[in-house]
Amino acid sequence: MTKAKFSPVLGRYVTIDVDGEEYKVFYLENGAGQPLVCQHTAGCHNHQWRGLLEDEEITSKYRVIAYDLPRHGKSDPPLNTEWWKEEYKLSAEFFVKFIVTLCDALELENPIFMGSSFGGNIALQLALHHPDRFDAVIPVEAADYSPGFYLDWWHHPHANASQVCASGVWDLMAPQSPDKDRWATWFYYSQGAEAFKGDLHFYSVDHDLRGKLEQIQGDKVKVIMLTGTYDYLTTTEDGRRTASQIKNAEFIEMVDIGHFPMSENYEVFKKYLEQALNSIQAVKA
Amino acid sequence: MTVVVENQWIQRFTELNDSNEELNAHGKFFTCSYLLDMESVQVLIDMHEGKVKNINLDPGPLDAYDFAIRASEDTWKKFSMPTPPPMYHGIWAASFQRDMKLEGNILVLMQNIRCLTTQLEILRVSGIPV
Repeated sequence: MTKAKFSPVLGRYVTIDVDGEEYKVFYLENGAGQPLVCQHTAGCHNHQWRGLLEDEEITSKYRVIAYDLPRHGKSDPPLNTEWWKEEYKLSAEFFVKFIVTLCDALELENPIFMGSSFGGNIALQLALHHPDRFDAVIPVEAADYSPGFYLDWWHHPHANASQVCASGVWDLMAPQSPDKDRWATWFYYSQGAEAFKGDLHFYSVDHDLRGKLEQIQGDKVKVIMLTGTYDYLTTTEDGRRTASQIKNAEFIEMVDIGHFPMSENYEVFKKYLEQALNSIQAVKA
Repeated sequence: MTVVVENQWIQRFTELNDSNEELNAHGKFFTCSYLLDMESVQVLIDMHEGKVKNINLDPGPLDAYDFAIRASEDTWKKFSMPTPPPMYHGIWAASFQRDMKLEGNILVLMQNIRCLTTQLEILRVSGIPV
């Protein structure tokens, strides 16, 4: 009999209350050390962080926690409300409150927060509104403002929403990324049209930090932005411009990779992530 | 471009399309017609159930199609490179960041977006008739 191969990654639910709404949140975790909290991209789920979660080099130093935002993956919509009677439109206010409540529930001390795309944008919001709660943030594929992607095409009833969503993000990835990982990312996006559009309400409409970046206390919360050269939504110019307006912030351009670096090509992403983590530790030394 | 060379390109593109494993697996409903406008050359592609029904490199003003994808010759040349540079690597990227325009019945485009995306990447193997 072949010996089974078990992953060290463990999944668990935690129930939290945000503004009177009850959420049973699913998260995956592995490792020990400073918490590294990871937010998936819009319309997706925590499996995007599979490479990082099983990376022994990183998890020997960090407790990697990747959760599913409510309505994504294994985290349902709120348990105690008739959520189906309202159109889902993610707001900056809820998103920030949810993440801080989750980190409090897990009793995380000095966490580093990392997210990609709308997860990167919320990282900037966290740095602005909660500089004392996070040791650092790593906004990946983020910008002060990212209009233009809140589109009805994501769930047009006359088109195949799962294929429109998945193919709409296909060329957010770099052609150099491995086929198997690009198709895995495509597959994730074939699963959640309604959540995708609702998430993009935050990404392209409610998130607007233009004129507010100078208020981020970069001396309290280190900000290190990472952007791939093949990202057509938040380009390297957007990332560089945004970082340049935040005190002490750094910007790292990621070559030959796109908007989903952690799932489309983890080996390439890892090089840049290590650079960011080393920079965060250097500040503390 | 001579007629002979044009015909060779049409034959090459058709063979690559019709033997594409992904299109064979998912192209059952890929039936539509569309125009690739490359400035000096226009390519009218007529698809039927995932296979090339006809390709017209000299469409007339009254030849009908569902939607058009228009861009400069330079953009199409970069788009069709084996490894395209950033922002020329897909119709979304080139529309958001470069001069590509999606026109006509976009609903039909969206209904066929998966197969269309795959089919346009064949241009990176076949080259373009410009």
